[in-house]
Amino acid sequence: MHSILKRALALVAAVAAFGPGIGHAQDKPAVKIGAVLSMSGPAAVFGIPERDSLNSLIKEGGGTMDGRKVDFVFCDDKTNPTEASRCVTQLISDEKVVAIIGPGTGSGILAAGPVAQRLSVPLLGPAGTVAITDKANAFYPWIFRIAPNDTAGMESLWKQIVAKGAKKVAIIYQEDAYGKFGSEFAQKLSKDLGFTIVESVGVPYTATDLTPQVTKFRNAGAEAVFMQLSVTSLGASFLKAVNEVGLKVPLYANSGLAQKGFIDAAGPLGEGVRVLSIGNVVYDPTPPEQKLVAIMAKNGFKPQGWGDLLAGNGYMTIKAALAKINGPVTGQAMRDTIETLCGFETLSMGKGCFSKDNHDGWAADATILTTIRGGQFRSDAK
Amino acid sequence: MSLFGSRPNTWIMAGVGALACAVAPLNPVWLDSVILTGILALISLSAGLSFGQAGILSMAQGAFAAIGAYATAVCSTRFGLPAWAGLALAIALPSALAWGLARMVTRMPELAVALATLALATLLEIVARNWDAVTGGYVGIAGIPPVEGFSVGWRFNILVWVFVLLAVLAYENLMRSAHGRALNIVRHDRTRAMADGIAVAPLLSAMLATSGAMAGAGGWLYAHYITYMSPGSLDTHASISALLMAVVGGAGYILGPVLGTFLLNLLGKLLPAQEAQGLFYGGALILILLVAPAGLLGWLQALADRRTARRARATSNAAAPAAPAGPAAQAGREADNPARAAEPAR
Amino acid sequence: MLEYAFRGLLNGTVYALLALPMTLFFTTAATVDFAVGAYALLAAAVATAIPGPVGVLAGLASALAASSVMAVVYVLLKRTSEGGIRVALASFGLSLAIASIVLMVWGTKPFVRQTFMTMLEFGGLRVNPQGLVNVAVSVALVGATWLVLQRTQLGRMMRAAAVNAQGAELAAIPVIGVQCGTLLAGGLLGGTAGLLILHSSGMDFTASLGLTFIGFAAAIIFGIHSPLRCLAGGLAIGVIEALSAGYTSGMVTSMLPSAFMLVVLLSGQLRAGRYSGDRP
Repeated sequence: MHSILKRALALVAAVAAFGPGIGHAQDKPAVKIGAVLSMSGPAAVFGIPERDSLNSLIKEGGGTMDGRKVDFVFCDDKTNPTEASRCVTQLISDEKVVAIIGPGTGSGILAAGPVAQRLSVPLLGPAGTVAITDKANAFYPWIFRIAPNDTAGMESLWKQIVAKGAKKVAIIYQEDAYGKFGSEFAQKLSKDLGFTIVESVGVPYTATDLTPQVTKFRNAGAEAVFMQLSVTSLGASFLKAVNEVGLKVPLYANSGLAQKGFIDAAGPLGEGVRVLSIGNVVYDPTPPEQKLVAIMAKNGFKPQGWGDLLAGNGYMTIKAALAKINGPVTGQAMRDTIETLCGFETLSMGKGCFSKDNHDGWAADATILTTIRGGQFRSDAK
Repeated sequence: MSLFGSRPNTWIMAGVGALACAVAPLNPVWLDSVILTGILALISLSAGLSFGQAGILSMAQGAFAAIGAYATAVCSTRFGLPAWAGLALAIALPSALAWGLARMVTRMPELAVALATLALATLLEIVARNWDAVTGGYVGIAGIPPVEGFSVGWRFNILVWVFVLLAVLAYENLMRSAHGRALNIVRHDRTRAMADGIAVAPLLSAMLATSGAMAGAGGWLYAHYITYMSPGSLDTHASISALLMAVVGGAGYILGPVLGTFLLNLLGKLLPAQEAQGLFYGGALILILLVAPAGLLGWLQALADRRTARRARATSNAAAPAAPAGPAAQAGREADNPARAAEPAR
Repeated sequence: MLEYAFRGLLNGTVYALLALPMTLFFTTAATVDFAVGAYALLAAAVATAIPGPVGVLAGLASALAASSVMAVVYVLLKRTSEGGIRVALASFGLSLAIASIVLMVWGTKPFVRQTFMTMLEFGGLRVNPQGLVNVAVSVALVGATWLVLQRTQLGRMMRAAAVNAQGAELAAIPVIGVQCGTLLAGGLLGGTAGLLILHSSGMDFTASLGLTFIGFAAAIIFGIHSPLRCLAGGLAIGVIEALSAGYTSGMVTSMLPSAFMLVVLLSGQLRAGRYSGDRP
C-alpha cells in the first residue's frame, strides 16, 4: 500500500514536472509587452488611435506572435511626463514586460528613459521629438524610435515649397516642442535652400482667433505659408483666418496635421492644402498599409491618421524581434535584437531599419507629400 | 506621554512615514507610488499651510515647486553643483517670490488673492516654456543626477518622508508658538489683531514664504527623483491638485493635506476611464465643500466631538452636578482625538 | 494697425459676453462663478453634435442645465458655510467636472461650425459676416442687461442685494432667488458666447478655463460693477490681444490675459466691501 502510494505520488510528480513541457515542447514561453500611450490629455488624439490599432493587431494575431503567447498591458500616461515614468515603472516591475511601446510623447520618453535604463527594458517611442534619440542621453541604448523623426521629410517638403516658386515664406507654429523645433529647423534650411522666412509666429494651443497673425503674414508679403501644427483646431482656425483675411497663397503643413480630424475640422477650406504625411493609411494606403486598414476594419475601427501606423510599426518591430531571439526573452535580449533588425516586414511605407548607431527606425521614405482634394489626403506619385 | 501630547501630529506622521518606508520597498511599484505620494503630500502641505492658516488660497504651489525643481536642475546639470546646493536654492527662490507676492496681496479679499496666484502661476508656466536658455524651453532638462547617497529607491523614499516629517514638525511648532496664536486671531478678526499690535502683513507674508519653501523642497525632491523636468511636469494642473487634496483632507488641520493626498491619489488610480479624472476631482471637491466644509478631518472631528459630548452628558447625568462636565469633557476630547490637540481653534 | 484693432473689436464683443456673468454674479453675491467657460464649452459641444438651429437651442439648454446645477450647489453651500471662496472653489470643481464630461462624451476632436463662407468687403477690409452677428448679439445682450439692471424691478432687486444683502432680505427681496437667477442668466450668457465662438473660430475640449480667465479679465479691467464696463473691458482685451499678436511675439500674447488679471487685481479692483459698510 505504502509503496503503491509512493509510486503513484512519484508518477504524479513526474507528470506535474514534465507535463507542461510535454504539451508545449515546441512552443516558446509567453511574454508580456507593455503599451504606455496618451489615452487622455491633449495627446489623446494620437494615443487613442494608437491603442485601437494595437488592439486590432493583437486580436488579429489571436494574442500570439508566431505561435508564442504575447500579452499586452496598457497604461495611460495622461500626456504627463510624471505619469509616463510611473507607467513604465509599473509595467516593468509589476507586469514584468520585456519591451514597451511608448510613452506617447517626447517629454514622456525623456522622463521614462532613465527608468528604462535602470530596469533594462527598451522603449519603442512613437514620437518625432528629435531629442529622444540624442546620443548624449545616458539612456540612449534603451530608446528606439518607431517613427520618422521630426526632420524626416521636412527637407523634401521645403524643397517642394521652393520649387513652386516661393522665396518669402511665413511660418505659423504651435507653442510647444514640436512647433518650436519645426520653425528652428526651417531657419536652418532657409540658408541652404535659398528662401527667406519673413515671419515666424507661435500660437498657444487654445488660440481661437488667428486673423492678426494672418494679417501680419499678408503685410509681410508672404508667398507661401508653412504650418507647423499638430492641434487640429489650430489648423482649422488658421484656415478660417486665411479665408477671412483673404491671403491667397499656397499653404503647406507638416505631418502633425495629417489627421482625419484636421480635414473634418477644416471642411471645404482645406482644399488644396499640401500636407506632409507619415504614410497615408486613411485615404490612399499603399499595399502594406492596406493590410493594416483591413485588420482594423475587421475589428470595427477606422484609421484616423498616422497614430495607427506608428502603433503598427511598434507591433511589427516586436514581432520581428521575438522571431529572431534565441534563448530567454529578457529586456536586454530584446534591446540587443532590435538593434539588429533591418528591412523586416512592416505595415507602413518605408523601410524599418535599426542599428547600433541609429535608433531612428524610419526615415524620409516613410513620409509622403499629399494634397487635400475632395476632403481626402491624396498622395503625390512617388 | 506629555511629549506625545504636545506634538501629536508629528508623532502620527512619524508613524505613517515609518510604515511607508518599511512596507513600500517590498514592491517596486508601491515604492514609486509612495515616493510620488510623499512629494505630492509635501506640496499639498504647503497649500494647506497657506490656505488653512494664512487664509491665502494659493493656486501657485505647483509653480513654486517647479521653481525649486528648475533651480536644482540648472545647478546640477549646468554648473555641476551637488544636489544639496540645489536644495538651498530650491528653498530660497520660491520663498523669496512668495514673500514678495504676499506683501502685495495681504490686503486683498480671499478671492482676489486666489486669482492673483493663479495668474502668477500661469505667467510662470509661460516663462518656463519660453526661456530656452535656462529652462530648456518645451523640451525641458533631462539627466538630472540623483542625490548623492540616496540614489537607491528605498533610501530616497526615506529621504522623502523625512522631509515630510520635518515639514509637519515645523508646521506644528509654528502653530504652538506665539506666531501660531497670532495667526488664529488674524484669521478670526483682522482688525482686532492689528489693534492687538500684531504685524499682520509680515506675518502672512512669512506664512506664504514658508509654504513657498515647502513647495520648493517638494520640487527639489521631484527633480532628483524623476531626473527630468519640463514645463508640463509641475504645472497649474499640479497646483490645483495640491490645493484640492488640501481642501478635501481638511486645510485647517496639519495632517489634512497628507490625508487628502493619500485618498485622492489612491482613489484616482482606481478610476475606470482616464477622461473621468476631472469629473472625479471636481465632484469630490463639490461633495466635500457641501458635506464637510472643513475637510475630512474636520468631519471626523465633528463626529468625535458629538460622541464625546454624548458621553460627557451621560457621565454628568450619572455622576453629580454641573462643574465636572467641563473638565471631564475636555479630558475626553483630548484623549479621544490627539490629532486635534494641536489644531488651532476654528 | 487699424485692421488689427478692428478685428480685435470683433473678438472683444464675445469676451464681453463672457464677462457679463462675472459682473452679474459678483455684484449680487460677491463671488465668482468659475464655470462660465465650461458653460460655453458645453454649449459648443452640444451644438456641434446636433446640426441646424435645433443644435443652437440644445446648446443653450445644456448650458442652462449646467448653471442650474451650480445654482443648486450655491443654495446648499449658503446654508452650511459663509464665505464666497467656497462658492468659487465649488464652481471651479464644477468647471473641471463639465470639461471632463465633454471629453468623455465627445472625445478630443475640435468643435467647429461654419455658417458663412463668403466674406463681406468694406473697402479693402474683408469681414466675416459672423463677426457682425457676434457684435449684434453681444451688444444687444449687454444693452438688455443694462436695461434690466437700471430700469426694471428685477434690476432694482439685484442692485439692492448687491449693496446690502441683509437689508434686502428685510425688505422682502428674495436675495437667494436673485442670486440663483443671476447664475442661470450667467449660464445662458456663457452658452451664447460659446455658440458665437463656435461659429467664428471653433474651440476644443481644453478651452473652458481659458475662456473663464478671459471673461474675468475683461470684467475687472474697468471695474466689475456694470455691464457697460464689461463691454468696454471685453473690447479693450480684444484689441490689445490683436495688436499684440500683430506686433509682438506669441509668448507675450499668451501672457496677456494673466498679466492683465494680475495687474488689475493687485491694484485693488475686487474689493467687495466698497458698497456695504463692511470692514475692509
